[in-house]
Amino acid sequence: MSGLGNGIPFSWNLVTDVRILWSYEFMRNAVEAGTAIAIMAGIIGYFVVLRRSSFAAHALGHSGFSGAAAAVLIGAAPVYGLLAFTVVVATGMGFLGRRASARDVEIGTMLAFALGLGLLFISLYQGYDQEAYSILFGEVLGISTTQVALTFASCVGVLAVVAMIYRPLLFASLDEDVAEAKGLPLVGLNLAFLVLLAIAISFAVQIIGVLLIFALMVTPAAIAVRLTTRPLTAVVVSVVVALTAVWGGLFVTLFTNYPASFFIVGIAFVEYVFIRGIGGLRESSVLQAVDATERDGVRVLRNASLTGSLAQVLLLGGAALLTVSLLAYPGAAWNPSALYVHALGALVVLGCAAVAGTVSALLYFSGFRKLAALSRDYSSPAFFTLVGLLGIALTAGGLALYVSGVTLAAVSYGLAPAAELFGIPLLFLGVVLWLVGVFGQAVGGWRLGLRYGESALRTGALLIWVPLLGYTISFLGYRRALVQGPPLGSAATIS
Amino acid sequence: MDADLPHPPAYGAPAGIPRRLGSPAVAATGVEVRYRNRIVWKDASFEVLPGEFVAVIGPNGAGKTTLFRMLLGLHWPSSGTLSVFGVRPHRGNYRIGYVPQRHTIDQDTHLECDKLVRLGYPGTRWGPDQRWRPLQWGPRFRLAAEREAAAKALEDVGASDLADRPLSGLSGGELQRIFLAEALVGNPEMLLLDEPLSNLDIRRSRELVETIHGLVISRGVTTLLVAHDINPLIKCLDKVIYIANGRVATGRPHEVLTTETLSGLYGVHVEVLHDSRNNIVIVGGEDERGEEGA
Repeated sequence: MSGLGNGIPFSWNLVTDVRILWSYEFMRNAVEAGTAIAIMAGIIGYFVVLRRSSFAAHALGHSGFSGAAAAVLIGAAPVYGLLAFTVVVATGMGFLGRRASARDVEIGTMLAFALGLGLLFISLYQGYDQEAYSILFGEVLGISTTQVALTFASCVGVLAVVAMIYRPLLFASLDEDVAEAKGLPLVGLNLAFLVLLAIAISFAVQIIGVLLIFALMVTPAAIAVRLTTRPLTAVVVSVVVALTAVWGGLFVTLFTNYPASFFIVGIAFVEYVFIRGIGGLRESSVLQAVDATERDGVRVLRNASLTGSLAQVLLLGGAALLTVSLLAYPGAAWNPSALYVHALGALVVLGCAAVAGTVSALLYFSGFRKLAALSRDYSSPAFFTLVGLLGIALTAGGLALYVSGVTLAAVSYGLAPAAELFGIPLLFLGVVLWLVGVFGQAVGGWRLGLRYGESALRTGALLIWVPLLGYTISFLGYRRALVQGPPLGSAATIS
Repeated sequence: MDADLPHPPAYGAPAGIPRRLGSPAVAATGVEVRYRNRIVWKDASFEVLPGEFVAVIGPNGAGKTTLFRMLLGLHWPSSGTLSVFGVRPHRGNYRIGYVPQRHTIDQDTHLECDKLVRLGYPGTRWGPDQRWRPLQWGPRFRLAAEREAAAKALEDVGASDLADRPLSGLSGGELQRIFLAEALVGNPEMLLLDEPLSNLDIRRSRELVETIHGLVISRGVTTLLVAHDINPLIKCLDKVIYIANGRVATGRPHEVLTTETLSGLYGVHVEVLHDSRNNIVIVGGEDERGEEGA
């Protein structure tokens, strides 16, 4: 496969691609700096979202523009100008007010002035277009080794300071009045936060640019708060999202030659849209307390759907491996002993898939049985999933008979044809019963979806015939049902 | 609760600190308060005894929240003396739990209730003075104690089942219980609750009052509660602080909420009426100087 655009030729072997990527020094620098930046941005971004200070982040980015332009004018690297200007402006903002977000008018005024100043500096400098362009939209491939070291040092510093002030800052961000009454220094914390934000922004501007800064400072954290309600988890998720955007963006840009900023912003955007589409954790309805047994049951079902997704992932992976192995050794397809030799890896993965699938089916049955004790609505799903378990046992038996028959046939004929003969119908019967079990999972999921007002559960129930998708969406639904509980007066109630 | 009765120790109160029985939790003598150079109220003298359940009543802007801010050490009296547990009010007083009227938390806050409650936990106390160090710099190692305290606080406000729910899905009454737990988690000896009953319907506000009254009894925590309407509270109250017209009147509910006292306070005729269920209606005076002050 030749390159897309004017980029380096792309091969479908990702290992080779990463090796190619790593062989360019500018790319190594970009990845290293990008990693440090993503970590900083992900962590600070969480507090930006929590404190609703995105406007302050925006303004700091713009003041960074004039700083970078000034640095270019005097012949220094833009990052030093960025750091100097954003930190000064952040300090000013810190003394201006307790919560920068409440100061829209002042920040807006300053923001326009900073941008104008930047324009002046840029026009004083001769190489007008290119410099302005790279500050506004980022120039990831021009990062020097010195700058990588500086970025890493800053990342370590930011991490250390955040670790120190994490709890007071979290408290002050979430519940300002109580934090003040408890004697937390709100002004100091706000100042510290803004300076950290300024540092994170100064480095992020290098790869993403002033105008696209939100993609790293806000979007990852916005995704994280939709996925989890635990602060530390949210920080980690935010960092991971920022990392996928930066790494993915850099990877794609190398093979296409289109700007990295676009791909970073694009990946972050797609992730955000995906999470919004699924709906995350968010649902605001009036809730009632749930019976402990019911919670238990739903929790088991949640684990069942998670295990189901795992089984599907393993199944797909195993099938892919098997295909690759069979393509390499076409003769192994109908010869079990050759299969053991040439496709052992695939067989092991498929075996794990079977185990995970069985565990999932067992959990489904146990979950619906718990709920069936509370309401008759769930007795038929419980019955169907039990039938499904029987089906799995029959499938396993049939498969064993068939395989042993085929294997024996290779050695000697005796009972082998009989084993083959009985194995196949058993296998068929097993699969049919197993499908009844899947039907039970879908019916139960649909009814719980009605009770909890969970569209994800209902979608998952309909899509259960596209297993990976169905189980994954069901998992999200069960999890949300567990967290949210049923709405008051829901239609299909567990009495 | 009578002031002379021996006072039960607050839940988890640090051992070895003698509680001076009978000494007031709040004592004010001749306090005058200014807000932006305007007198909010003056000549206020009152006492709140440990373990009392006190309602702070008055029209909007009469200076009820200002009283709380003074007790928290965030606002200073312009003259007179004010003491909390025998000392001048100061910021970061670990003996006070505070629930402000407005929180920055709303429907967009994706946070587990338990996590918010835990933030109120004082954390590591060291040194002989038992003074809470509000800045818990660095990592903390007493997670288990914190978890237990949060669970106990949630249980005491009847919100154990909300622990792992996000704040964004809660109703107004549930949210108030979580805020109450957040204030309780540090085992305070005094609770300052600013309008916890606003935005609640009659049934929910009665339930919340019962919970709070239960805390006053079981934990022996002195409680000051700002409210607009005294009726849901009247059965449980030990004392009323009525702030209006730049003046402060205190006493037992039936002493303060009379036609004579309130007329004297407002300087115009105010009628206190009782309905068949002994609910109280105050007629006149409310809008007299209601817009002023802070």
